[in-house]
Amino acid sequence: MSLPRSLFFAASAFGLIGLNVSAHAAVAPQDLVAPITDYKLYVLDNLEQFTAHSREFTEAIKAGELAKAQSLYAPTRVYYERIEPIAELFADLDASIDAREDDYENGVQDADFTGFHRLEYGLFKQESTDGMAPFAERLMSDVEDLEQRVQELTFPPEKVVGGAAALMEEVAATKVSGEEDRYSRTDLWDFQGNVDGAKKIFELVKPLAAQEDPAFVERIEQNFSSMEATLSHYYVEEGNVASGFVTYDKVSDADRRALVGPVTVLAEELSTLRGLLGLN
Amino acid sequence: MSDSSSPTPSSGLLRLGMALAALLMLAALGLFYLSLGDAPASDAEGTSVTITASGCEPNALTVPAGRHRFTVINESERAIEWEILDGVMVLEERENIAPQLHQQITASLQPGEYQMTCGLLSNPHGTLTVTAVEGQASIQSVSAKTMIGPLAEYRVYLILQGRELQKSAEALQRAIADDDLAAAQQAFVQARLVDQRMALAAGMFSDLDQRLNARADYFAEREQDPDFVGFHRLAEGLFVARSTADLAPVAKQLSADVALLTARLQRDGVPASQLTKGSARVLRAWHDYQQSQPQLNARELADLRGLQQGAGKVVSLLSPLLQGQPQLAEALQQSSDGLAQTLQEAEPDRVLLLQQTEQLTSALAQANEQLTPAY
Repeated sequence: MSLPRSLFFAASAFGLIGLNVSAHAAVAPQDLVAPITDYKLYVLDNLEQFTAHSREFTEAIKAGELAKAQSLYAPTRVYYERIEPIAELFADLDASIDAREDDYENGVQDADFTGFHRLEYGLFKQESTDGMAPFAERLMSDVEDLEQRVQELTFPPEKVVGGAAALMEEVAATKVSGEEDRYSRTDLWDFQGNVDGAKKIFELVKPLAAQEDPAFVERIEQNFSSMEATLSHYYVEEGNVASGFVTYDKVSDADRRALVGPVTVLAEELSTLRGLLGLN
Repeated sequence: MSDSSSPTPSSGLLRLGMALAALLMLAALGLFYLSLGDAPASDAEGTSVTITASGCEPNALTVPAGRHRFTVINESERAIEWEILDGVMVLEERENIAPQLHQQITASLQPGEYQMTCGLLSNPHGTLTVTAVEGQASIQSVSAKTMIGPLAEYRVYLILQGRELQKSAEALQRAIADDDLAAAQQAFVQARLVDQRMALAAGMFSDLDQRLNARADYFAEREQDPDFVGFHRLAEGLFVARSTADLAPVAKQLSADVALLTARLQRDGVPASQLTKGSARVLRAWHDYQQSQPQLNARELADLRGLQQGAGKVVSLLSPLLQGQPQLAEALQQSSDGLAQTLQEAEPDRVLLLQQTEQLTSALAQANEQLTPAY
C-alpha cells in the first residue's frame, strides 16, 4: 500500500483503513487439514458408539423390554446429535433416522414416519413395544448404512466449520422450545449432544481463530460456559454430566430464558467462523 | 408446546407475554415487508422458488453453472427447510424458514442434474438442472483450498491404516515369540499388505523406510548383513527358511518402527505433492524391480495389491479435483480401476500387470502437473 503518509494518517484517523484487519495474516488452507482430520476421527469414534448403543436399544425393543428401551432412548441419541453436521448430509438417512412427525403430511400415522421419533411415540406415548420391532430393525440397518457412508466420505471443510453454527441453530430452533423429544421429554440430552458437537468443532479450530480474532474466541468461550452452567442445574447427579438429565418440564422458566441468550449469541457468532477461516 | 394442564400464568406474566407477542408480530410484519421489497421474483441475478403445502413452484428449475443465488419463499403453513441434493447427498440447505417468509441461499454448482426438497418430506422432490457455461472450463479451479478435504481424508486413512499395521505387527511379534510358524506367516501377510498401502508415507522417512522395507540387495552382506531387518528379513525366515529362528529381535524392531511411523504420520501428515508423486514413486519402484526378475512370485504380487489399494485411495480423492481436465481425470480413474481388476484374478498376467502399473504411474505424474497450483 503506497498512500502518502499524511493521507494515510488522515484516513486511519477517520477509521477508513482497517488496521486490525490488515495486521493479521489469513489462515493458510493447509492449517485446516489437521483440524478436519481430527474432526473425522471424532465423528468415526462417535459413530462407533452410536452403532453399539443403537444395537442395544433396538434389541431391547425387539425383546419387548419397555423400561430398558425407554432408558436407552436418550443415551443412544446423544451420539447422533453430536455428529449431526455430517449425519444430516445424507438426506435420506437423516429423514428415516431422525425426522419428526411434523415432517410428514399424515403425522404419526404416515407410512414413511420411522426412526427414533417413531419409536419415541411408541415407547413413551403409547408406553408399549407392540408393533415396534420393524421400526427397530429399520433403524438399526439405517444406522449401519450411515456408518458405512460416513467412513467413505471426504469431509467438506466448509460443512465441518459451518457445523458449529448449524448445531447451535438446531438447539435454538428445536431444543429450547422442547419440540424435539415431546413424548420422552429428554430434550436436554439432545441439547447437550448438540453443544458437545459444536464445542468440539470450535475447540479444533480455536488456535486458528485466535490468531485472527482473540476477542471472538473469548466471547464464544464465555457463552459456552454460561450455557453449560445453566445446563448443569439439571444433571441427574449433581456435578456429573455422565449421569444424564432430568426431564425438560423440570426446567424453570428463568433457566429457559437464561439459555436463550447464549444459544442465540453462539449461533450468530459461530456463523462467522467459516469466513474467519477463509472458507466462504 | 404448552399443554392444557399447565398452571394459569400470573397477570404480570400475561401482560409481558402479550407485549412480547405484539413485538414479535411487528418484527414478523417488518420482515415480511422487507421480504416483499428487496428480492422480486424476476431478479436477474437469482432464481426464486416458492414452497407451498404440496411442493415447489416451479417444480423444475434450470440455472447456469457457477455461483447462483436462490430465494426460497415459504408459502406453506409450517416452518420448512429447503435443500439441494445430489443423489442423497445434501449440497446446500437452508433450515427453519418460517411460514410466509423468504430466505436466500447462495450455492456454487457444477453442471448436472440435482434435486430439491420441497417442504414436507412426503412432498415430491423438484429437479434442478445446472447447465454448463461456454468458456467456463473449470468453475472450481484447483487451489490449496480444494486440497484441504482430500488431504484431511488421506491423513485419516493413514492414521486408520497405521492402527491396523500396529495391531498386525504386534500379532506377528507374538506369533514369532510363540514359535507358531503358521500364525506368523498369516500375520506377516496382513501386516505387509497394510504396509504396502501406506508405502508412499513410509517412503518419506529414509531411516524408517530402510529398516522396514529395504531388500537384501541393498546391503553389503545381503541376507547375512546384520543391518538387513524389516519385512524382507522376516519373509526370508518365514517363507524361505520356514522357521521363526532368530526372528524375535527383528519382529520386535519392526513393531517399534511401525509405532514410530504412525506417531510421525499422526503429527505431520503428508504434504499435498506427495499424494501423486509418492504414489507414482512406489509403483515405479515395484515395476522396475519386477522387470529385473525372471518371474512374478506370490509375495511380489501381494505387494502390488497393497500398493494398488493405497494408490486407489489417492486416485479417488484427487479425480474430483481434475474437473477442468475431464480426459485426464478419466484416464487416471480408468488406469487405477484396470489394475485393480487385473489384481482380482488369482493368477494375473505378469506382462499386463507391468503395462497397467506403468499406465497408472504416468497418469499420476500427469495429474501431479495439473495439481501443482494447489501445493
